Amino acid sequence: MAEPTQDGRKIGGTLLEVKNITLSFGGVKALTDISFDIKEGEIRAIIGPNGAGKSSMLNVISGFYHPQQGEVWFRGQKRASMRPYEVARQGIARTFQNIALFKGMSTLDNLMTGRITHMHKNLFWQAIWKGPAEREEIAHRERVEHIIDFLGIQAIRKTPVGRLPYGLQKRVELGRALAAEAKLLLLDEPMAGMNLEEKEDMCRFILDVNDEFGTTIALIEHDMGVVMDLSDRVVVLDYGKKLADGTPNEVRNDPAVIEAYLGVGH
Amino acid sequence: MSPELLNVLEVMLNGLLAGVMYSLVALGFVLIYKASGIFNYAQGVMALFAALTLVGFQTGQIPFAHVINTMFGTHVETWGPGVPTFLAIILTIGVMVLFAYLVERVVLKHMVNQAPIILFMTTIGLAYFMEGFGDLMWGADIKTMDVGLPSGASTWFETTTASWAAEGSNYPGMYVDMLDVSAAGIAILLVVVLTLFSQYTKTGRALRAVADDHQAALTVGISLRTIWVIVWSIAGCVALVAGIMWGAKSGVQFSLSLIALKALPVLILGGFTSIPGAIVGGLIIGVGEKLFEYSIGGMLGGATENWFAYGLALFFLMFRPQGLFGERIIERV
Amino acid sequence: MDHQSDTFPKLLNDNAQRFASRVAMREKDYGIWQSWTWAQMREEIVALANGLAALGFQRGDKLAIVGSNRPRLYWGICAAQCLGGIPVPVYQDSVADEMQYVLEHAEAKFVIAEDQEQVDKMLEIQERCPNMHHIIYDDPRGMRSYRHDHLHDFTEVQALGREFVKEHPEYVNQEIAKGQGSDISIFLYTSGTTGKPKGVVMTYDNIIMTARNSANFDKLTQYEEVLSYLPMAWVGDHIFSYGQAYVAGFCINCPESESTISTDLREIGPTYYFAPPRVFENILTTVTIRMHDAGKLKQRMYNYFMDVARKTGVKILNGESVGFSDKLLYSLGNVLVYAPLKNTMGFSRIRLAYTAGEAIGPEIFDFFRSLGINIKQLYGQTEAAVFITMQPDGQIFADTVGVPAPGVDVKIAENGEVIYRGPGVFHSYYKNEQSTRETKNTEGWVFTGDAGYFAENGHLKIIDRIKDVGRFNDGSMFAPKYIENKLKFFPHIKEAVAFGHERDYCTAFINIDLEAVGNWAERNNVPYASYQELAGNPQVYQMMLKSIEEVNRSLASDKLLSNSQIHRFLILHKELDPDDGELTRTRKVRRRIIAEKYGVLIDALYNGSKQCFIRTEVTFEDGRKGAIEANLHLMDVPTFTPVKEAA
Repeated sequence: MAEPTQDGRKIGGTLLEVKNITLSFGGVKALTDISFDIKEGEIRAIIGPNGAGKSSMLNVISGFYHPQQGEVWFRGQKRASMRPYEVARQGIARTFQNIALFKGMSTLDNLMTGRITHMHKNLFWQAIWKGPAEREEIAHRERVEHIIDFLGIQAIRKTPVGRLPYGLQKRVELGRALAAEAKLLLLDEPMAGMNLEEKEDMCRFILDVNDEFGTTIALIEHDMGVVMDLSDRVVVLDYGKKLADGTPNEVRNDPAVIEAYLGVGH
Repeated sequence: MSPELLNVLEVMLNGLLAGVMYSLVALGFVLIYKASGIFNYAQGVMALFAALTLVGFQTGQIPFAHVINTMFGTHVETWGPGVPTFLAIILTIGVMVLFAYLVERVVLKHMVNQAPIILFMTTIGLAYFMEGFGDLMWGADIKTMDVGLPSGASTWFETTTASWAAEGSNYPGMYVDMLDVSAAGIAILLVVVLTLFSQYTKTGRALRAVADDHQAALTVGISLRTIWVIVWSIAGCVALVAGIMWGAKSGVQFSLSLIALKALPVLILGGFTSIPGAIVGGLIIGVGEKLFEYSIGGMLGGATENWFAYGLALFFLMFRPQGLFGERIIERV
Repeated sequence: MDHQSDTFPKLLNDNAQRFASRVAMREKDYGIWQSWTWAQMREEIVALANGLAALGFQRGDKLAIVGSNRPRLYWGICAAQCLGGIPVPVYQDSVADEMQYVLEHAEAKFVIAEDQEQVDKMLEIQERCPNMHHIIYDDPRGMRSYRHDHLHDFTEVQALGREFVKEHPEYVNQEIAKGQGSDISIFLYTSGTTGKPKGVVMTYDNIIMTARNSANFDKLTQYEEVLSYLPMAWVGDHIFSYGQAYVAGFCINCPESESTISTDLREIGPTYYFAPPRVFENILTTVTIRMHDAGKLKQRMYNYFMDVARKTGVKILNGESVGFSDKLLYSLGNVLVYAPLKNTMGFSRIRLAYTAGEAIGPEIFDFFRSLGINIKQLYGQTEAAVFITMQPDGQIFADTVGVPAPGVDVKIAENGEVIYRGPGVFHSYYKNEQSTRETKNTEGWVFTGDAGYFAENGHLKIIDRIKDVGRFNDGSMFAPKYIENKLKFFPHIKEAVAFGHERDYCTAFINIDLEAVGNWAERNNVPYASYQELAGNPQVYQMMLKSIEEVNRSLASDKLLSNSQIHRFLILHKELDPDDGELTRTRKVRRRIIAEKYGVLIDALYNGSKQCFIRTEVTFEDGRKGAIEANLHLMDVPTFTPVKEAA
């Protein structure tokens, strides 16, 4: 079933599907009848101008918003209305546009916290500490160290993340999401506010994550150019409605998209 | 050493020991404040309630005996000789955990995303409810608490310190209550255990994570409600320890709930968000008020202990409103 | 020792017995320091050597080492030497084209590359390097999809070697036994700042004898700890982290990554350390800035005890006698200030530190020495296997570079050039007969290209590059860089240009340091709107005058350079800038361009005028061009009569 892409990655069946999502706040409709799917192993982008409803869409997937209509299907099952932490436990990790890290905690602790859904020893063992809980800690620390190595953030292992520059904080946040070993990684404008070099680094990491761990990634991005190079398929939203859906090339040549989105920039 | 110096030392030592008790109460406040942003006015009442429950178990009181007697015309008071102290403590911890669970289920659940002032009002309501409920459950009479901790003066310490004084000065030695010493010991142990727990366990890390950023905690899969139950349970246990200590010292009675007020200046001094702050703040206030009473108190007609802490807190508010260890308050425009 | 091993593989065998369970190497990986004892390290190296042999590596083949300081890359050096091959470490920061030149020139047949980044470079240049047959990589990350027959994982090669040894159990041992001291041990390529890099061919004797001599000189033992963080291609690292480590048997530590060096330094606490002056300067700057931000009490304590240290610390380190109260005060300072400070710098255990390569500012040098850190200077070259001169304990001077290293003869040629010969003198430049003959004469004397002289105390003083040294009209020596360095040691002087060649006396342009002078202006309420205005401020001129006077005073006591005292100077109205071509990208003064551009000003310095108008083209940060004009003041400086040495 899996169809390899040109560069040898495997794209599998549908991992997540949203069907006819409508979300409104009071009388204002943020999303109207949106449907699309995300396939296993792909990099999927959701783009659109400011206020198009990209973040709302992401918040629906990660359980922060509950749509008035529509369904979210994850791994072949219809999802009941869930709280964000339950969504996280199902295997969906995310980052935020304005970074939501534990600022007072070290990079290492942030990443270790990311593994919380994989740690199962109960309070009793934790209180005793020696034995099973300690072994569990060590095993998870090892996983986290691999991520630290992967992202090249050894130097800031013990630094409270609040003290780090913006670009590094973004990287730590990605690291925390990676630590969760999620089936689906949602990235909310991962490149926002970065300089060119940092953007290139981040692109590299996103591609490497997808390639190395086979993680499915859905990302929101404002920067058209970045998205086109990065993603396998793109959904375009505008004023809460779906404008187009397809490969970067198809989307780029779609007249509606050119008018609504590219037209603005040019 | 001269007797005067030894006297000052004695005052300071007693101040430190008293300070530990203040710290203990303040600690409960800080834990809940950090994890949920709630200033829990009920912390003092929780200490009273925990102490009442413990004594109730120890003496084998029947809960709600008063109500039962009124309703059914019976005269039941106790159901037996009571349970051993150790078991009573375990049972009380169970009750405090149950209480934490109920608070989350019945109250906090509905209060998510409310303004801090509303949450604060909620805890005031909670405090008055618990006070009444405690009375109803265990009766309003003053009880004595005895959990088998040593009390009274330490003669060993008295004779040792007496020998430090200069020959022939007739210095009687320092008076230190063993109860205070053991309270301090237990408090230190509690803080060490709590610190280790929060640094090196998954749940500890989750607690810190929630204290740091709610939204981020949610996305990594931490259930806020579970954490709140855990935090309120820990605060309940801290309240129990505080209740035992203060109860053993001055009896289990309504005034026990007022120790919450003593914790307020400690928090102002140490900062609402800092555990080390709560400890250091408590020690400073303890030593400060004892020394002040000893040196200047006489001139002011005594009983300065009643207001010194608040005066110091007021002074602090003017110069360092975030407290000694608190996070700097930065107004964002 | 009755027998002395003459190659590194033989030394490895010795150490694997003598120091079997002592740690030879550590590397921080995944947050933990992993370590290898000498015996374990020998096992790893032998497995690699067998693996290389299985892949067809033969006596005389070259193995390029491409990457930062990793244990496996160090093992690669020794493994190649086991088989009678020649390791060729390459600067890992070089771009692919630069690497291509070196690899092609050295005819490297094998490459050990650190990671994907380096492998990509190798694959890029592979077509143009016909000799390159096998690429072995250390870190497999990101290379899952790489499919090349000649690309091998390091552990794979070792596994291959462990198979190979079953069939040829004695092969590597026989090859090791064949090696002798006069064999070629390594090619060290110069960094090639001027022209193409040259391959310096070194024999085992060169490296081992030099390492042995210097280790004895400084009493290095197997207990030293070294942090290996300087490029492996540089001769210094080859001596400090390889030569001396094998000879003395001490432990080298590889940092986790380039960005963690300062943390790793703190964790390891090396006993023996080398860094260029720039690093020490940066440390001092960081400390100073942190102290500025510290609380009042801390600041006062720091300043007080640093004064104490300056008074007594250096004396104590030099073994001179100091009063009891001073000693007491110093040990108090040690508890309160020096020890915590050294701990944050990672210098808690330091026994010996070296610096070289550039002149080091005396106040920087004294700062570290006063803290009890035995920092010394040496003077060296790749061609000498580092050591030409070094400072013996107790004879440390900031402005000289020490006495000839053991076994090395140093003398001054007629033209003032420093020349030397000794056991470390290189074999030849690889495939470059002509350069070899130009640099090393038939008697084995090597020309350094540096001008210098021996001071009265027998210590060598380096003045300048010989080609930059000029003559005053009266024939006395004019060494511009020496004078400029003296000026630049003042924090408020950023750049200086000295003139005097074929002139009667010496003059100078000064560039103020905007940060330092601006800071001073702020503290003293001196208003200024622009760089130009600040540079022209009379008070600033007075400040510079004082500094230059000080320089003149010190030059007056120098028998060779007393004529170089600065008679007149001016402060430039703009910063010398690489964008305007006035400096090289590495911030070296371009004398010719400056002489052309500011000819008017130079003339004014020599015609006695008090003011001079100048209009200069500048390039702004956004690339636009423009002109600025200014009326500059010229100022005379008092000079001093040369001090005659008392007979």
